[in-house]
Amino acid sequence: MDTAGFRLTRRDVLRTTGSLLTAATLGWPTRAAAQAAAPKRGGTLRVSNGGDPPDFDIQQTATYLTQFLAAPCYSTLMREDVSDPTRVVPELIERWDIAADGRTVTLHVRKDVAFHNGDVLTAEDVKYNLDRIRVPPKGIVSPRKGQLANIESVEVRGPLTAIVHLKQPQPDFLFLISNPFNGIYPKKVVEPLDQTGQGMKRQIVGTGPFRLARATEGQIYELVRNEKYWGPAPYLDRMQFFPIKGEVERAAALQGKRVDGCFFFASESVLQSLAKVPGMVTLRRPNPIFINLIPNVTKKPFDDPRVREALSLAIDREAFIKTVGPLAGAFYHSLGLMPPKSPYSLTAAEVKQFSGYDTLPGLGGNIAANRQKAIALLEQAGVPKGFKIVIPTRGDVPAFRDSAINVSSQLKLVGLDATVDVRDAGAFYQLETKGDFQIVMHSVAIAGAQPDQILGEGYTSFGGRNYGGWKNEALDDLYRAQSAELDAKKRVEAVRQFQLAFLKTYNQVNLAWVGYAAAHASTLHGWVPMTDLYNNMQMSRVWLST
Amino acid sequence: MLAYLTQRLAVGAVSLFGVAVAVFLIMRVIPGDAAVMLSGAGGGVVSEQELQDVRHKLGLDRPLPVQFADWAAKVAVLQLGTSLRTGNRVIDDAARRFPYTLQIVVMAMVLAVVGGIPLGVLSAYRAGSWLDQGLRLVSIGGLAAPSFWIGLIIILGLIWLFEWSAPLVWEPFWVSPLQSLSQLVWPALAVGFRQLALIARMTRSMMLEVLGEDYVRTARAKGVAEASVVLRHGLQNALLPVVTVIGFEFSALFGGLIVTESVFSVPGLGQYVVDSILNRDYPAAQGIVLILASFVVVSNVTVDMMYGWLDPRVRVQDA
Repeated sequence: MDTAGFRLTRRDVLRTTGSLLTAATLGWPTRAAAQAAAPKRGGTLRVSNGGDPPDFDIQQTATYLTQFLAAPCYSTLMREDVSDPTRVVPELIERWDIAADGRTVTLHVRKDVAFHNGDVLTAEDVKYNLDRIRVPPKGIVSPRKGQLANIESVEVRGPLTAIVHLKQPQPDFLFLISNPFNGIYPKKVVEPLDQTGQGMKRQIVGTGPFRLARATEGQIYELVRNEKYWGPAPYLDRMQFFPIKGEVERAAALQGKRVDGCFFFASESVLQSLAKVPGMVTLRRPNPIFINLIPNVTKKPFDDPRVREALSLAIDREAFIKTVGPLAGAFYHSLGLMPPKSPYSLTAAEVKQFSGYDTLPGLGGNIAANRQKAIALLEQAGVPKGFKIVIPTRGDVPAFRDSAINVSSQLKLVGLDATVDVRDAGAFYQLETKGDFQIVMHSVAIAGAQPDQILGEGYTSFGGRNYGGWKNEALDDLYRAQSAELDAKKRVEAVRQFQLAFLKTYNQVNLAWVGYAAAHASTLHGWVPMTDLYNNMQMSRVWLST
Repeated sequence: MLAYLTQRLAVGAVSLFGVAVAVFLIMRVIPGDAAVMLSGAGGGVVSEQELQDVRHKLGLDRPLPVQFADWAAKVAVLQLGTSLRTGNRVIDDAARRFPYTLQIVVMAMVLAVVGGIPLGVLSAYRAGSWLDQGLRLVSIGGLAAPSFWIGLIIILGLIWLFEWSAPLVWEPFWVSPLQSLSQLVWPALAVGFRQLALIARMTRSMMLEVLGEDYVRTARAKGVAEASVVLRHGLQNALLPVVTVIGFEFSALFGGLIVTESVFSVPGLGQYVVDSILNRDYPAAQGIVLILASFVVVSNVTVDMMYGWLDPRVRVQDA
């Protein structure tokens, strides 16, 4: 059993072996296979990943529904290397220079790149987009503004040169700008729309290999090949996105050959049924998506670290993974706050020192003893037996709903009267945004797996995911220190120090990691699944064999 | 008759006003905030100032009576506003989606009426026979099986038997009649089966009651042809409650297709209204509920008018 990263059970081995055999038989697009096959030009790729995208403004959104649709229409300044996800490669820039002090990054913009409306890409566009993400205009929302918070200013020096001044050196900076949600818009189009507070919610104007041809809400979103694409011409003539919300319905559409691919599934039973369909390729991979128990530290008694520690002690993580895994794809665990198998992972011994984490699969913890400790801690903190906890959750997403149900039942075992308040997304997010909750279970999906991406967004007081409202300057300083560390070895140590310090606070309690699944017809080739959900969804290298 | 119709329509208008007030208040009272949803809920913490900016832009920071008066004044001139979610005029979204929902409802009800009434009559006429038992089994099955399950069985059955499934690109009936029929007959079957079962059950029980009446025995004693006894003396008198059920089911189907539309991925009104409510898209949810309520009112008035046509005893005389 591998305790350093994934939970590896006999079932996993069988499943993986099965997938590999299927891949070998049906042509699962491993990197080597994708390169070896002879691509064919033409055809329409029909996909369904879920319901309608709420809008088209890829920079303003956090949902894969918008990102999967818009990614083929946009390019980013840099992107994750398909052949090696630990590297980034230039996309809309030809090259970059980093000054000796590490604080000045010069971006040399690629020549002769045209937007779909014919405008030519310039450094002014680059500046406007970077500024829009980090300091959005009034009425514009930027979920990833924290990721670019280290930018002090962006300067334009000539039509094709943009200079980014950083507050401090940041080795992950190029990864942060390569985030697939950071598609580049033409300033001339987006600036007036931003002044209305609308932004690019209703149109797509990018530099990507496809452009939006029609969008009929509830029916179809169609992209056609951008004949003026600056890069290698895409193979497909067009892509059609069909909004089908339910996973069972999407599976039926796949099975009925109404669509060629679905790149988002959670349910294991749906995936297993698809795996039995001849000519179907299925896969599931661990993504940088974590499910955390988040106490609201601004409310009593969760301001008391002993209570938060008791919450962590109460949870049998292996039981959580076994129960919620098949429903929400929460099959995985990691050691520490970084994703499974990360070079920044902690050791098992380090993780076991934190209350409750010894119940991760393979770490040999004693849940009964943990729960006794939890009861004692709650008593010390003055939390009466039968203390009522209401866990609000959204009912439409298994990662939220089933996690909350599981955690509530486990909390009862330490004498807490926990109940789940299932709400629709609108009501849930209102409570969460207002901080009007005691604890929530939240699934957070990150594009990319670098420390600044995971820790910056998920585990800093200024990050976008601080739903619990905690403040801790020392932790934020530790984050900034690791973020600025240029020496790779020292960086590993700095990230380790941050994780150890954060885990000690129990400001958030990590429960499991999610691996979303995909399924597509074996006639679809050239799609290389990356380690996260969002990268490489541009589909320019995808082709159909029939 | 005209006075009665005017009176019923006036009552309908008052009902619609009540619905407008109710849906407006319900959308504001239920937990949730349009600003939160429009601000990319789920993507991270949004500041109160950002939310306030969005509320101000949408006019949601004004007092409720002002918001209602503004909306009601627009509705009075048939302007349902702009959807916060799609950015389109609600009336345009509804016009694009309504034909699919209407077509399913009409096809389902035609199936139910054309199949359900004869089956109900046959079942009652042969009460206790194997035929009756078989038809009862089918009708109970139709009532018991959820339409979404029947829908999935139909989809998978079509794939299994014919390796065929309906295309996902939708066209209205008047643009491509054959394609439209081939796509929508399946959801119509899925929901129509239940309606058929209901109408068959209702027709059977009413026919059993009527066929035992003295006037039916008298007709038979007078030597009236059996078909005339059953259809003219029997069915015509048994139809009144059946018509009530048909009217009710017809209007109820408009709001009851949500799951079936979802199973067959039909871009109808059901999914739209659910998405609007879930996203706190106030103009869209309010507008569609009003449209659906209008159909219920029109449907009820139509059924009331049909009573008089079917049964002279309840025919309204002009003063």
